[in-house]
Amino acid sequence: MKKYITLVLLGMIILSSCHKKDNSIDGPNLNDVYGEFGVINTLGQNLDSVDFAVGQTAYFTAQMSKIIDWKITITGQTSGAVKEITGTGSSLTQATTTWLGETTYFPVFGAEICDVQLTFEGEDDTLTSTIKIIQSKLNPGFLISDFESGFNNQWTSYIQSGADMDFQIKTDASSPQGNSYYNMAGTVDWDYLIGYLYFGASAYGSPQMPITGNGDNTYFNIMIYGEPGSVNTILLFQFQEDDDLSGGFANSSEDTYSLEIPVNWEGWKLYSVKYSDIPCLVNGQPSTPNGNGQHNPDRLNQVNMLHLANPVTGFAKTKVDYIIFTQNEPLKP
Amino acid sequence: MKSLLTILSFSLAAFTLAQNGKKVQFVGGARAVMSNMDFQTDEEDTVTPRKSAGGYALIDLGFRINPNEQTEILGMIRVKNDLGGFWGSNVAFDVRQLYVRGVAGKIVRYQLGNIDYKMTPYTFYNHNPDMLLGGVGTLQIKEDILNYESFYSKNNTWRQQGAAVDFGLAFPKIVKDVKFNGFITRLNPSNLSNIFERFYGGGNLVVKQSKYLTFGLNHASIFDLKETAASENPYKNAVSTATYEGKLDKDKYTVGLAGEAGTSAAGYSQDSSQLTDFFSNTKVYLKLKELNLKLSIGYMDNGADFRSAGAQSKRINYNQLNSFYSRYTNSQIDRQISIYDLYNDPTLYSSSITEGIMDYNPAINNALPYGTASFNRKGIFGEVQYQDTSEKLTLEVKYYQLSEIRGQGTTKLRKYNFLQTTAKVDLMKFLKIKRHLDFEAGFSYQRTTRPSEIEFENVSLKSAAVSLGVQYELISKLFLLANVYHFESSGNDLTPIRNTNDEIISFAPYNANNYENYFATGLKFNFTEDMYLSAFYESNLNNGNGMTPYTINQFMIVYNLKF
Repeated sequence: MKKYITLVLLGMIILSSCHKKDNSIDGPNLNDVYGEFGVINTLGQNLDSVDFAVGQTAYFTAQMSKIIDWKITITGQTSGAVKEITGTGSSLTQATTTWLGETTYFPVFGAEICDVQLTFEGEDDTLTSTIKIIQSKLNPGFLISDFESGFNNQWTSYIQSGADMDFQIKTDASSPQGNSYYNMAGTVDWDYLIGYLYFGASAYGSPQMPITGNGDNTYFNIMIYGEPGSVNTILLFQFQEDDDLSGGFANSSEDTYSLEIPVNWEGWKLYSVKYSDIPCLVNGQPSTPNGNGQHNPDRLNQVNMLHLANPVTGFAKTKVDYIIFTQNEPLKP
Repeated sequence: MKSLLTILSFSLAAFTLAQNGKKVQFVGGARAVMSNMDFQTDEEDTVTPRKSAGGYALIDLGFRINPNEQTEILGMIRVKNDLGGFWGSNVAFDVRQLYVRGVAGKIVRYQLGNIDYKMTPYTFYNHNPDMLLGGVGTLQIKEDILNYESFYSKNNTWRQQGAAVDFGLAFPKIVKDVKFNGFITRLNPSNLSNIFERFYGGGNLVVKQSKYLTFGLNHASIFDLKETAASENPYKNAVSTATYEGKLDKDKYTVGLAGEAGTSAAGYSQDSSQLTDFFSNTKVYLKLKELNLKLSIGYMDNGADFRSAGAQSKRINYNQLNSFYSRYTNSQIDRQISIYDLYNDPTLYSSSITEGIMDYNPAINNALPYGTASFNRKGIFGEVQYQDTSEKLTLEVKYYQLSEIRGQGTTKLRKYNFLQTTAKVDLMKFLKIKRHLDFEAGFSYQRTTRPSEIEFENVSLKSAAVSLGVQYELISKLFLLANVYHFESSGNDLTPIRNTNDEIISFAPYNANNYENYFATGLKFNFTEDMYLSAFYESNLNNGNGMTPYTINQFMIVYNLKF
């Protein structure tokens, strides 16, 4: 019996094994959190000139002595377009800094030379470089208009006879993309409607707009300008579908989806929405569509853009540019 | 078969005590508390009220029903009324306890409803790592209240809701008996959306091979019930351990070896990295029977990734605000949870099992923030327990010398020294006087170090607590109470900041330059052993970590009754 007990006790002791010395650490290295900051490898880049239109991408590299919040700011010398790339780490790599030519703050980049600046949170060090854009990026999708080619005569427009009415394509440096945009402004003190512009599919050579996606992977995108000091504008978009593929739209038997955008910001902003998230509205209230009840962007017969404002609030003004449907993701201009 | 084993039979009397033939009994308690508090700070403060008064009266009324000899039903409701809140306002009715228990066929003992349960220190155990020192007098009154409110017991049980069963088998050969215990409790219900129905269950079997050897297998597991939420990512924390004790019992002494070792796994099913680790805790002890002295020395090794929610849940979540005087000064800064608050505010405490790593206060307990089951600790420990035969003196000393197993933010490891002593003296017996005179003294000291030539790696944190308590019977049943408590902490550490997956994502500097002085005196009249009335005054000075000191003075009247 004593032997048996001894064996069991020894077994228990053996079971009580110990952890070996563990050279791994829990959490980030303290040096990365509290160590002194320094630049080990200065700012580098894979290309001096990049052609985004043919699919080239640019990326930047650098090596720091500790983990830190960093920010790359790319500024177009001509356009003033700004792209910001931010991250946290002790190095900049292709994985964290790849630039596809897109913009963070409008306008979008053109073919131009850009200044590149790398800064670090809480540190004075600034690393600089330049990169040349040979061609700016292309945005795949169905472009309704970027207003660069003037007014399409097959669009339909209506402007109320109010005061200070100004509905026209304008060309000036404030355009977020290219040189032109569509301006809508005026005062109508008896009606919400100030004016509208309808984009029929026939203007693009077919009874339905050439969109191949479905409602869940199609995005409607538009650049909208909010007039400083004015929050009167409501942009209403109506998406009329030719559900029966008859080549036209019948309101009583086909779907209309409506998107109301109160323009309550200042400056240019990209507005993107998944097509299937656009509701059916009647008098501003959710309603049941009259057609098949499905979001069919491939059957879009017409997109109506209406500029509305409360008649008692007076003058309303906005600008729009680059109206485009994209697939699988919102527009990244 | 009958000759080979015997099913251990239980009688309900084992837990229902004497029933005196009554089928229905009233049990419960009552308490009334009145307090007048005064808050002072030297900082400019025109916002915080200087004084506050309040109190409450409550009764816990329970019905213990014994429909037959094998069954007991207990239902207890609480009626609580804040003072000044009569006529329907500030009156609360709660169900405080509800359970059914009994013995099925004189073989299986069961309990349904509220259960107070524990298993082993590494599986399911209510450690109390923050209440470093107990004490007679006013601190004992306060500690009793908060323990009662949160269902904490001296047995380190957790109050849960579920079911528990146990039964035993006796054998004529090889082993003496085997006892089986099992439990299942519900931790949280599903929200029928993204939160699973979460349960905590487990059990153990304890084999008593002989008077020399006992060993057991234990398992406790938190698990989400699949398909109770619209998620494919349930959580699980499973802990399996083996316990053992071998001893040699002689006339003058007992010598033995005891311990526990096991493994854990924790994480969400879809996470690529499940935390798995193991631990072991072994000690040898020597009990000198004539001296009533027990000495033990042991070694513990708790892996850095050892996770056991049932043993690592803390009674207090330090990531919460105080419920009274939570802010002060004109800047309305947070008033951190202090030692005084630990004794004074039962609402800080919880009886929940938490699957994540709870925040702790490094100044109070940095060495073993989650009790014996603290992860990432290894080292030796020793314990001395002494009580003279006439129970005049009780002495307990614990010492731990530990270190981390895996460094935090560095390969350098913190080292911990932790000394905890308590002495209780029955001076009535010592001095051979007629009146009771109890004295209790406690001392706790901790030191954390991580020396490094690199400044930000350097850790040096010390804390110490001293408690003295006296209870003197002035006249029959009337006691004079007096307590002094001093706590101080100084130095620096880096506390881990964890994300929702409990991974350390950064470290926050922790600088301590703190002290607290507590003084209390009062009277207590014991009507019976379970009924007393006490009135006392206490003052607690807190230096606000050297920046915003404040003082809380309080006069309290406490009436307490258990029946």
